[in-house]
Amino acid sequence: MARDPKYDILFEPIQLGPKTMKNRFYQIPHCNGFGSEKPLSQAYFRAMKAEGGYGACCTEYCSISPESDDTHRVSARLWDDEDVKNLSVMCEMLHDHGALAAAELWYGGPHAPCMESRSVPRGPSQIPSDFEYLTYAKEMDKDDIREVQQLYVDAARRARDAGFDIVYVYGSHSYLPQQFLTPYYNKRTDEYGGSFENRARFWRETIEQVRDAVGDDTAIAVRMSCDMFMGDAGTQLERDCLPFVELCDEIVDVWDINVSGISEWGEDATPSRFYPSGRLLPWQEAVKKVSKKPVLGVGRFTSPDLMVDAINSGKLDIIATCRPSISDPFLPKKIDEGRLDDIRECIGCNICISRWEIGGPPVICTQNATAGEEYRRGWHPEKFDTAENADNDVLVVGAGPAGMECAMILGKRGMRRVHLVEAEEDMGGIMRWIPQLPGLGEWARVVNYRKIQTDKLRNVEFIPGTTLDANGVKEYGAEIVVIATGAYWATDGLNGCTHDTIPGADASQPWCLTPEQIMRDGKDVPGSNVLIVDNDGYFMGVSLAEKLASEGKKVTLMTHLGHIAPYMHFTLEAPNQHRKLHKLGVDIVTYHIPSRIEQGAVTATHVYDEEAHEQTWDADAVVLITQRRSNEALYRELKDRIGFDALREEGITGCYRIGDCEAPRLIADCVFSGHRLAREIDSENPEVPKPFIRERRVIERELAVA
Amino acid sequence: MKIVVCVKQVAVLGDEVEFADDALDVDPDYLDFALNEWDSYATEEALRTRESLGAEGDEIVVVSVGDRQVEDAMRRCLAMGADRAIRVDGPGSADPITLARLLAPVVQRESPDLVFCGVQSSDAVQAATGTVLAELTGLPRVAVVTRIEWDPSAARAIVHRELEGGLVDVTEVDTPALLTIQTGINQPRYATLRAIKQAEQKEIEVVSPAEQGEPASRVRRMFTPPKEEGAQILDGGPADIARRIKEIVEERLK
Repeated sequence: MARDPKYDILFEPIQLGPKTMKNRFYQIPHCNGFGSEKPLSQAYFRAMKAEGGYGACCTEYCSISPESDDTHRVSARLWDDEDVKNLSVMCEMLHDHGALAAAELWYGGPHAPCMESRSVPRGPSQIPSDFEYLTYAKEMDKDDIREVQQLYVDAARRARDAGFDIVYVYGSHSYLPQQFLTPYYNKRTDEYGGSFENRARFWRETIEQVRDAVGDDTAIAVRMSCDMFMGDAGTQLERDCLPFVELCDEIVDVWDINVSGISEWGEDATPSRFYPSGRLLPWQEAVKKVSKKPVLGVGRFTSPDLMVDAINSGKLDIIATCRPSISDPFLPKKIDEGRLDDIRECIGCNICISRWEIGGPPVICTQNATAGEEYRRGWHPEKFDTAENADNDVLVVGAGPAGMECAMILGKRGMRRVHLVEAEEDMGGIMRWIPQLPGLGEWARVVNYRKIQTDKLRNVEFIPGTTLDANGVKEYGAEIVVIATGAYWATDGLNGCTHDTIPGADASQPWCLTPEQIMRDGKDVPGSNVLIVDNDGYFMGVSLAEKLASEGKKVTLMTHLGHIAPYMHFTLEAPNQHRKLHKLGVDIVTYHIPSRIEQGAVTATHVYDEEAHEQTWDADAVVLITQRRSNEALYRELKDRIGFDALREEGITGCYRIGDCEAPRLIADCVFSGHRLAREIDSENPEVPKPFIRERRVIERELAVA
Repeated sequence: MKIVVCVKQVAVLGDEVEFADDALDVDPDYLDFALNEWDSYATEEALRTRESLGAEGDEIVVVSVGDRQVEDAMRRCLAMGADRAIRVDGPGSADPITLARLLAPVVQRESPDLVFCGVQSSDAVQAATGTVLAELTGLPRVAVVTRIEWDPSAARAIVHRELEGGLVDVTEVDTPALLTIQTGINQPRYATLRAIKQAEQKEIEVVSPAEQGEPASRVRRMFTPPKEEGAQILDGGPADIARRIKEIVEERLK
């Protein structure tokens, strides 16, 4: 289909200093775990977006010197000519697709822990990082300022030599140039601190020097946070940012505008739980009003109508996307080709970001199982080769995230017939009810996308309302069987802390409940006092606490961990979720594990209390979020009772488990599991993942010994 | 007991549609094909009737008009559980009267106890084939059936018909009879892969078309209706707009 003319403006070229960008789709700098040291993974990952139509793609933050080393987290680096060589592959591949390449030059100051380089970072003042523990910067004197500015200039030259078209002097997220601009970081009394002019001096001088060095060849981009949400101490739009735009507009080719500091950067990379698309538009519009240069910025845009509106209403010139480009690298192309229902929309879960926050593993995505796998597994999000055993029929039992993905990919790989059989009346599995938890509505996109896609596939048939037992599977007539029957929350308090059940815990009692009993089965939560036992550590406990407290219950949330929902620190959801629970009056009890549950009361001990002094909480209802167990009964029946040999006699050549049914895991990992099996359904042993390419240095034996 | 189910393979439009060069039909490149939705309910109803009342030797026979391609839809009925299929090798997309003329000799030859048709097909939506077929075969007919209570020994059935406005007409009919079946009368079953494979192996009887006579209608041209002028946009609050609509309706009714 052809592009809808109302989206034409998204495909108009735009001038960025000496460079022309072919359209308005810009992949903002974002991490992927590859940096400069996994250069092919890096290059293939970015190039996929260029192939998908992005007009420009950036590196993640790109360190300019060993004294700005973010290890344990993974950044790109332009420390030397070998980094130039490695990152040049990315530039070349982007150029092959007609996209511009951008390098986000980064100096972290006190936030850089330098765990690999063991260098000492320099900063405007000697105050430890608000993002890291135990990291201090050396307070810069005038010589330091000149030297660090030279580091920027040298790195900019290396960026140009690597082939980058756009070079950033990056400040947002509380990095060095923005630290100078911000009283929270800058306590100086010399000409680099105090007044706005003084606080702006370091950044302006650095931009000037970088521009003098490479400005004829590359566009100069500045990424600035326009509100740190910390009152007078933080950067403020009217006081600091708009004057800075006016001060530097002549020497900047493109402004990249966002908000927040680093310690709560979920205000910028907004989880869908708290913010809809386009949350940064007021700040971007304010800058656009005072600047004569193009303004770009993120907003987790997945809808082309919102993108067009942002441009037509004068708020942005270029639509930058981070997470939507991970979820669907072909977002621009699908808009261009009028294939809007093929767009794999970001759900805003921030599981991608969690990997950077954890410090190094490759990026993952709930919606796009191929994210990060472009090079190492050779997966393309839109291309599927016909399976060598495509003349087989496949039965997939269970239409949760893993089953839906597996059936869809098997369909795309041309299997003769794929039957996706589901006990309930619709697709989704756990994703039928998880999106009904507070704020998680957009997560339903996991189901909607797959429903639309499988509906288009003539060889995939969805069969609802049908429960198969082992004999039913055996006699179904498939050559390949995939079991995706999911998992359930333990009803007896079995948990990962004591590795035992909790005495008295029994979700068959009316006062004792599991998440799916509340959300899926509509089981009534009796009384006014609810105690939630959360040994899971992610979204389920806090979400149910929020839901029940919003419904007027007095909620106590108890965990054996030191924090409630520690994984939500990685997804940037923690700060606002804590605020919500605090406002709702939820009592939080950490480091406690129940020793006994009975109707009306929960008795627990502190996990570090060897004397096991018990304390008792009143509880009319107890919600058990202790651990999940796989629904593996069907698989066990097939394997243990009937046996794979007997299945082979029925013509079933393979029987596999995917997703939670094998072992409970993240939704993203369930989708990956289904995708992986479908991608490798024609491998020698589909049950075992094929090896992936590990980008590592392999030594020449003789050299190593010498 | 024997029940004949007349089924049709319908064309399903994709997102985009182009017409053929002669402007007499949709370009087949833009079409998918499937078993008519109403006919899957009719097939299911026949299967359920047999399951609740039937005995050894009972038969469900599926009949359709069309070229080899319509056998895909017929095999779907076989996979659901029908016993036999007969294809009349004629024009499957003909008008309802022509289709009924082609179906009638086969229905008469089979002399079933009941004939089921879908109320209508989702592509042509004329809702006439069943009624014409009843006329040509001399069978009593009941249209838009939502419930059947059949007593084969008494050769009578109590039948619920769906009427406009949510009304239900409960009527009696002597059998043999022809009933046109409405969606929602049941929940059609899905065929397992094994049943689909077995249905693929089944022989489908092909019969030559009878004299089909003059077509009852013909397509002169297919085209996208031109956009017309004259739409009126009503401004104002809800009360103003409602008042204005009332005036316009009253004006037109004069």
